Amino acid sequence: MNAPFFKYDLFGDEISLVVAFAIGIGFGFFLERAGFGRARMLAAQFYFRDLRVLKVMFTAIITAMVGLFLLSRLGLVDLSLVYLTPTFLVPQAVGGLILGVGFVIGGYCPGTSCVSAATGRIDGMVYLAGMIGGLVGFAEIYPRVEHLVKATPMGQVTLAEQFNLPYGLLVFAVVLMALGAFLAAEWAEKVVGRKTPDPDSLLAPARPLAPVRRFAIVLVSLGLVAAFAGNPYRGAFARVDTKQLALDAGNKADHVSAVQLADWIVEGRNDFLLIDVRDAAEFAAYHIPGARHVPLAELTSDFVARNERIVVCSEGGIHAAQAWYLLRSLGFPAVYLLFGGLEEWKDTVLYPQAPPATAAPRDQVEFARRAAVATFFGGSPQTTGGAAPAATPALPKLAPPTPAAAPAGAPAGKPKKKKEGC
Amino acid sequence: MSSPPDTSLPEKPHMNPYWAGFGLGLVLLTSFVVMGRGLGASGAFTTAVATAVHAVAPDHATGNAFYAEYLGDGTVNPLKDWLVFEVLGVFVGGFLSGALGNRLRFSIEKGPRISNPARLILAGVGGALMGVGAKLALGCTSGQALSGGALLNLGSWVFMLCVFGGAYAFAWFLRRQWL
Repeated sequence: MNAPFFKYDLFGDEISLVVAFAIGIGFGFFLERAGFGRARMLAAQFYFRDLRVLKVMFTAIITAMVGLFLLSRLGLVDLSLVYLTPTFLVPQAVGGLILGVGFVIGGYCPGTSCVSAATGRIDGMVYLAGMIGGLVGFAEIYPRVEHLVKATPMGQVTLAEQFNLPYGLLVFAVVLMALGAFLAAEWAEKVVGRKTPDPDSLLAPARPLAPVRRFAIVLVSLGLVAAFAGNPYRGAFARVDTKQLALDAGNKADHVSAVQLADWIVEGRNDFLLIDVRDAAEFAAYHIPGARHVPLAELTSDFVARNERIVVCSEGGIHAAQAWYLLRSLGFPAVYLLFGGLEEWKDTVLYPQAPPATAAPRDQVEFARRAAVATFFGGSPQTTGGAAPAATPALPKLAPPTPAAAPAGAPAGKPKKKKEGC
Repeated sequence: MSSPPDTSLPEKPHMNPYWAGFGLGLVLLTSFVVMGRGLGASGAFTTAVATAVHAVAPDHATGNAFYAEYLGDGTVNPLKDWLVFEVLGVFVGGFLSGALGNRLRFSIEKGPRISNPARLILAGVGGALMGVGAKLALGCTSGQALSGGALLNLGSWVFMLCVFGGAYAFAWFLRRQWL
C-alpha cells in the first residue's frame, strides 16, 4: 500500500474535493455527537463542570497518533508525506492565547461554531459573523504586522526532532499523559462539578471492565508497542519497485528538457525544486538561477520534504541520472532529470542558434521567443548570418533575472496558492 | 433547515466523550492516510473572505499579500479548495447528527444569568478574536491542536497549551455568561 493515496497520485484534485466533503461530514457528525455544537457544554470545560473538550480532543489525538504511527511503522503510510504545518513559535503562542480568550468569550472555536450554526444555534451564527469580521480586520492590518506573523520560524519540526527523542517513545508518553489527564478530569468533575460519573468511564464505571477501560488498555498496549517499535519514517533501505523504475526510465516521462525548464523559471513556477549535484566549484562558477546545490552524497531520505517535485541536473546528465535512481529508491515519488544537463542548457537556452534565413516563419517566431528567454538568463542568441560563430561564449554572470526582464507574453510569477494547512 | 425543526421530541443525550473522540480520531486518521493532511476549519473562511473581497474590490484583494495568498494564481477558482469543501461537509455532518439526535433548535446557548443580546454580543466578539488568533497561529483548534497534535508538531503543542492557558486565565471574568 502506498499512502497517503493523494500524494501518490491515486486520484486527482477533483476527486480530492469529494473526499474533502466526505471527511468533513464525518468531522461535523462527531463534533455534534460530542455535544460540541453547544457553547455552554464547551465552556463547562473551563469551570471544571464537564471536561468533554479535553476528553474528546485527546482521545481523537491519541487515536490518530497511534494509528498513524503503526501504519507508518508497518510501511503502509509514508509519514514524511503527511503535511506538517511549519512552526512559528511566538506567533503561534500569542495566537493560541488570543484564541483561548476568544473561546471562553464566544463559546466556540471555528469548527464547533459551524456545527452549532448548522443545528440552529443563533449564537453560533453570530459567532461565525464575528469571525468573518475578525478575518477581514486581520487582513487589513496584515501588511503592517506581516513581520510579526512570520517571526521565530522553525520550519516543519516535530517534538521528536526538536528534543531528539525517539518518535515512538513520545507516542507512548502522550498516551500515558492523556490517560492521566482523563483520570484527573473525571476526578475534577466529581469533586468540583458534582457530576454523577458516566456508567462507561475510567474512574467509576458501572462494571470493572467497562468498554472505555478496555479501550484505554488497548491504547496503552499499542503505545507500549510504539515505544519499542523504532523509527516510523521510511529508512535508507527502501524497497524498490524495479519494474516501475525501469518503466519510468524507459518511457522518458521523467525527462525535462532545458527549454521546458527555462520556461518554468521564466513563468515563475515555484512548484518544483531544482537540485544541482555537481561539485561546489562548478556550482560556484555557474548554475541555473534558483538551483540548490546538493552533492550526490548528501541526497539522503530526508534532505527535502518527500512530496516535492524535484528536478536534478548535472554537467552532462550521467550524475543526474544516478541521482534520479537514488532518489527514486529512497521513495521520492516525483523526480525528473534535466535532459542533457548543463551542456544542453547552454546550447539551447543560453546560446540558441538562429535558424537559417530560409527557415519557415514559424521557426523564426520560435527563435525570437528563445532569444528573449536567452537574454532573460543573461545569455545571447547566436546568429549564423555572418561568418563562423564566435568561439564558445563566456557564461553569464550569476545575477538573478529580474521579473521586469521577463519576455513579453510570459505571465509574471504570482504567489502560489497555499495548498495545505488550516 | 427549510422547515422549522420539530421540537416536540425530547433531545437524545450526547455521545460518551471518549467514543465521540475515538470516532473523531478515526476521521482524522482517514484524512492522514487518504489525503496526507489533517482537518481544518478557519482556512476555509479565510478563502471565502478573500474571494468575497476580490469580487467587490479586485485591486484591493490582489494588492494585499494576505488575500493574495488565498486567491492563488487565478487559474483555479479559489473556492475549489480542499478546506472549503471539507467545511461544507462539517455543516452537513453536524446537521445530520443534530437531526438524528432531535437536537435541531433555533436557540441561544448561554447560562441563566445573562441576557440574549449580551450573549450574542459576546459571541460576535469571541468570533472576531478567534479570527485574529487563528490567522496569527496558522490554524485553529482543528488544524493546529487536533491535527498537529496527532502529528507531534512542535508549534501545535505550544499552541494547544496556550489555548487552554488563555481560556482558563479568562474564564473567571466570563462566569456570568456560562454558569
